[in-house]
Amino acid sequence: MKARTGQDEPADLELLRRMRGGDETALEILYKRYAGLVFTLALRIVGDPELAREVLQDAFLRCWDGRETYDAGRGRVPWWLIGIARNRAIDLLRSRPHQARLRERETLPGPAPARDAGPWDITDAVALRGAIANALESLSTVQRRAIEMAYYRGLTQAEIARELGEPLGTVKSRTREGMERLRISLWPLIDPKREE
Amino acid sequence: MTEEHEHLIEDLAEYALGSLEGPERARVETHVADCETCASRLREYWGVLGALPIGLEPVAPPAGALASIRAAARLRQPAAPAKRGILATWRWATLPLAAGLVAGVLLWNVWLQHEVSIHPPGPEVEALARRPGRLVILAGTGIQGASARLLVAVDGHHGHLAIAGVPPLPPGRSYQLWFVPASAPPVTGGTFAVDSGGRAWATISVPIPLDETRAIAITEEPSSGSSAPTGTYLLEARAWR
Repeated sequence: MKARTGQDEPADLELLRRMRGGDETALEILYKRYAGLVFTLALRIVGDPELAREVLQDAFLRCWDGRETYDAGRGRVPWWLIGIARNRAIDLLRSRPHQARLRERETLPGPAPARDAGPWDITDAVALRGAIANALESLSTVQRRAIEMAYYRGLTQAEIARELGEPLGTVKSRTREGMERLRISLWPLIDPKREE
Repeated sequence: MTEEHEHLIEDLAEYALGSLEGPERARVETHVADCETCASRLREYWGVLGALPIGLEPVAPPAGALASIRAAARLRQPAAPAKRGILATWRWATLPLAAGLVAGVLLWNVWLQHEVSIHPPGPEVEALARRPGRLVILAGTGIQGASARLLVAVDGHHGHLAIAGVPPLPPGRSYQLWFVPASAPPVTGGTFAVDSGGRAWATISVPIPLDETRAIAITEEPSSGSSAPTGTYLLEARAWR
């Protein structure tokens, strides 16, 4: 799974433009580029392959028919696509209480073991995966849990506070601290302009 | 007052996560529309969150998902000029339905026992997928993980059902598709079996207009079909595009 860099962005935008004109080949290219990432995220959220497939299909169809309009000001195409899939997956999770209960019974998995501590090559998804694992590992347990509960389960800060049994203010501050640590660790790897 | 206080930096992480509610959320949205500093920081958070799934162990998307997306995408293409040959081919599918409605229960049973064919997606499905029509997604309400897609042709009378994630049934049993009107008994759309992998592509009839249908459901019934659902709804849809 190749990470997309700024150099690839025009290609993604070109694909979106062609898709709006009804070009199925562009849809296929975009799918092959990001379907793995979208499906992986969807499966992580809904915990069921068939529901994850539904999310995958819905995300790409929303791109196709323009129901979700890409705004370059909000970042790159894959982030936008991931956002659509995440929203859709969380909607599904919320609409199926039994699924939510299944997820709640699961303990949140820890980050994948870090594989490399060297300088990250943004074009190397394996290395980026290692960097993300390292960044997550560097968080305190509560910071990581609060972020994962918000990101993968769509919980509000109040819901997270209730579930963790922590004061709302504590959850808010830990979320902020955790997100800031992730930003400092990962943004230079994600944004090629910062690598110099 | 520092610049940090003038901006809404502290709320941006929660906003990016989607976990900020009500007035706080609205306040951030208003602020970042005019504040490039916060908008830039927000983009960085979005970028980090967009990259987080890369940290998960990758899972390959299911085979066939792209084909389903392409088929559904074709349904949403601007309508192409109708080809008479294709329409003529489709109309034959409405004849058993019309006969069933006119001739009553006996002929209805004959039609019902003509179990819909099961076949892999072929030219007929491709042709249907290219036509503008309706897409109904059935969720597994009685079988966890089951799902189905019903592609209804533009004529509204026939379509194809793709189903996955349901267990194969023993001899003498089959799945049956039902269209449930708002104020009348359910009407069958046909019976079908699934392969050993729990999947099927079946040609189906649409006995009542979708706009007059309150729900579409699938039950388990005897192979000969039932005149009314005897089992619980295993898959169900109550809204469609």
